[in-house]
Amino acid sequence: MAVDNIYYKVKLYLEANSKTKSEFDSNIALQDDGSGSYIKTWSVSGVAKPTDSQLNALSSNATKEYNNSIIRQTRKASYGDIGEQLDEIYKDIDAWKARIKSIKDANPKE
Amino acid sequence: MSKTQIPTGGIADDAISEEHLDATAITGHTALAEAPASTDEFLISDGGTLKRIDSSYIGGTNTPAFHVYLSGDQTIGTGAATKVTFDSEYYDTDSAFASNKFTVPSGEGGTYNFQAIIKTQSVNNNTALQVFLYKNNSELDSQQSRHKDYMSASSSEELHVSFSYTDVASATDYYELYVFHNNGNNRTLKAETSSFWGYKLIT
Repeated sequence: MAVDNIYYKVKLYLEANSKTKSEFDSNIALQDDGSGSYIKTWSVSGVAKPTDSQLNALSSNATKEYNNSIIRQTRKASYGDIGEQLDEIYKDIDAWKARIKSIKDANPKE
Repeated sequence: MSKTQIPTGGIADDAISEEHLDATAITGHTALAEAPASTDEFLISDGGTLKRIDSSYIGGTNTPAFHVYLSGDQTIGTGAATKVTFDSEYYDTDSAFASNKFTVPSGEGGTYNFQAIIKTQSVNNNTALQVFLYKNNSELDSQQSRHKDYMSASSSEELHVSFSYTDVASATDYYELYVFHNNGNNRTLKAETSSFWGYKLIT
């Protein structure tokens, strides 16, 4: 069965079972053939493949993680180039801190 | 041109050699001035024996061939290999592309070249955009582009991956294109500029 927002649901499931997202590197494959995403392969040592109901129980937190990923992306784009920020820090670190804080405040995480 | 006396009793078998033929034996005739029909014939030497051959056996065409594209943007979720739903065709010589996949027609097994170009919104620093060619629902090969120069993903800047693979196919084998990224949130696969094409090689 297809499961929406499956990446974050599986990530949360892994973390709840003392695993990390590094399992995605070689032990888990997610796929979407056009009818929604599903777990194509699962070979996580010591942890059973989650059922659809187990994944869907994580839906709310998965949505929160997804939304926060967009917030992080927006923040990063607003922070600007690292080299430019180092120059800002060198010239006026307090002004830089104030600018970073204003970006964080304008883009709060859930 | 001087006339040659034909001996009494006619010309002996195998007696007409190159020295007796003038180029006007060809140039004196009307030019076809178009590609020959498949049943037009040439005269060839097959291991020293003269034979005629239909033009259909010479050259050939790179078909079956197809070129498909997305008519609209497609959203690709993070972390899952997602089939690209190509829904429009520039051409499809044998109507072999259907339901988002190319299926080798009956009698058309052989060596095929597949190519694709995939264009998406850029992805976050150190995350990947990857394109997979699937054969009969299994990964055959992939290419990826990994971003390290961008500070963060952007909806205005784009990233592309091009792909080429040659495979020996049998009739009923089918090929599909999948895209994967681990940007962390959805990316948009760009319409029209994302396309997939393939053709049978002349071997």
